[in-house]
Amino acid sequence: MNIFKKSNLIFISIFIILSLFLLKNIYEKKESMLQIQKQVDKHQVGTSNTTEYPLTVIDETGTAVTVSKEPQRLISTAPSNTEILFALGLGEKVVGITNYCNFPEESKNIEKIGEISPLNYEKIISLNPDLVLAYGGFQLKDIPRLRELGITAIVLEPLNLKDTFKSIKMIATACGIPDKGSLLVNNLTKKVDKIKSKVSSIPISSQPKIFIGGTSETIYTPGAGTLFNELISMAGGQNIAAGLSFWKKINPEFVAKAEPDIIIIPIGVMNQEEESKIKEIISKRAGWSNIPAIKNHKIFIVNEDLFYRAVPRLVDGLELLYKIFHE
Amino acid sequence: MNKPLSSNTGYINWRKKLILILIIGSLTTLGVGIICLNFGVVSINPKDIISLLLNGTQDKTKSLIIWQLRAPRIVLGALTGAALSTVGGAFQGILRNPLADPYILGVSAGAALGACIGIALQYVTGYMLASYLPVFAFIGAMLSLYLVYKSSKISYSANSTGLLLAGVAITFLFSALITVLLALSRRELHSMVFWLMGDLSTANWKKISIITLPVIIGSSMLFFSSLDLNALSLGEEEALHLGINTSKLRIRIFIIGSIVIATVVSFTGLIGFVGLIIPHIARLLVGPDHRIMIPIAAFLGGIFLILCDVLARILIAPTEIPIGAITAIVGAPLFIYLLRRKNK
Repeated sequence: MNIFKKSNLIFISIFIILSLFLLKNIYEKKESMLQIQKQVDKHQVGTSNTTEYPLTVIDETGTAVTVSKEPQRLISTAPSNTEILFALGLGEKVVGITNYCNFPEESKNIEKIGEISPLNYEKIISLNPDLVLAYGGFQLKDIPRLRELGITAIVLEPLNLKDTFKSIKMIATACGIPDKGSLLVNNLTKKVDKIKSKVSSIPISSQPKIFIGGTSETIYTPGAGTLFNELISMAGGQNIAAGLSFWKKINPEFVAKAEPDIIIIPIGVMNQEEESKIKEIISKRAGWSNIPAIKNHKIFIVNEDLFYRAVPRLVDGLELLYKIFHE
Repeated sequence: MNKPLSSNTGYINWRKKLILILIIGSLTTLGVGIICLNFGVVSINPKDIISLLLNGTQDKTKSLIIWQLRAPRIVLGALTGAALSTVGGAFQGILRNPLADPYILGVSAGAALGACIGIALQYVTGYMLASYLPVFAFIGAMLSLYLVYKSSKISYSANSTGLLLAGVAITFLFSALITVLLALSRRELHSMVFWLMGDLSTANWKKISIITLPVIIGSSMLFFSSLDLNALSLGEEEALHLGINTSKLRIRIFIIGSIVIATVVSFTGLIGFVGLIIPHIARLLVGPDHRIMIPIAAFLGGIFLILCDVLARILIAPTEIPIGAITAIVGAPLFIYLLRRKNK
């Protein structure tokens, strides 16, 4: 095949032109980002206790977001952001939340903006927000549009405990209450440190092996890089899937071979009857009868929201896990 | 003496018909578009909308909602629907296959793969690439276009089966690559899945200004191939006897159509069903002559997608239903109804 044929050349030049265009834009963006970063570093935003507006924060997408005045009307486009806002005592200012925001109870009566993605821009604009707290990941394609429409949006994407604390501080800073943010984070850190010091005295060999399961036939379990895995090791447990990365579909044989001492089933709120049914289903799964957790009836059903969402309640989840593992 | 005269009047009649279609079609689309400005989560008084259209208004929120949200969605819907239907009709013509749709020749899979790679790169490199996803999608679509073109040339010297099989093979290959990417991915998975579902909600004037020219020029080029398509619909051999180079025609339409679809899909994601069913509806309404069928399909497709988008955003507001679901739920029964009526 002759590579210099006319049709080949046309296609190759299209590729090259488009790729160069992309590279140029990405490079320019990086340059301007670095400059903004320098400016922000100079001003040391977030460290002073008196908040002066306008202020600039660099969010998780690396965008410098300028908040022009103390925000009075907030919209949260993710359950985790809603929880953080309420934990900071900003609940009164929240004017819009998603269909999935279910905590705390007081958020029930706040107007719903719809799905997490695609965002309903019309609804968001009609609520006239000063600041929108968005989520990375699945809202990535919505965020440029949100900003085009002149909405101030801070994007958060906490994936571990440290990031969660960072997000709490970022929200507090943007909303003019950096002290409250630091206070909340300090309190949470104290609780985490307490568990950490208790766990540090337990040798790894005597830590229980943990399996995080579900009720469906196909088993997905959290590996390294997930919030759940982080909490398990902090609470002094050995996740049998720690060698895998992120959420992975696993074979039932893998669980049988790993012989977990404790099985944890994270699930929505359930009553006693349903819980015992689930325990029965898990215990009767083929090939699992030799697993220590099943022989010793060590199956625990927990509220999933304490482990999947990057919110202050993670610390409650951590304490719960410690109790299950060691008390 | 009579014969040339009558064919001449036939020609004039056809031109008159086309002009009539263009005028009525544009006016109807415009009318439907203006009426659809009234529908949305936020209720705005029709009087306000009229005064807003005529002389602007002081209310910033309302004008933002009308001009920056609803109007671009409607225009993008009309362009997308027209492009999908025109290309769908032309592809059904060149492949001589009623099941052909604009995505069957691999462009969509290429665009989807391009976008997925863009999303994955975003996490690898750490740069915010969301606004460049259309460029990635377009590069992917061009890659698949090129591969399909090449492999169809190798296999069957570009007859309709060769092109179709090449398209299906590349679609499968690219879908498999997407599946692998999804399996390897972590948190970017969600963005990928959402990108794959078509959606008009991110419409803005910039996107419209980019896709308008390719859609209009491409559709016109497809329209000017109508006579060749008519000849091809008689059969491969008959078209050859009429002096038409069928493999060249096929390649030409495949490339033009794919570029139009690549441009549209890069911005809207994959909106299904419109490109498959609207050409058939147009054929049921006005017959198989491509000169009439293609413009009718373009207008029907545009109006159909505008209406589906309105349903998508108001049925269970503030939640939006994916528009692909609405096009199928509304379109399938409508199509079966028309089919039954035709057969009676």
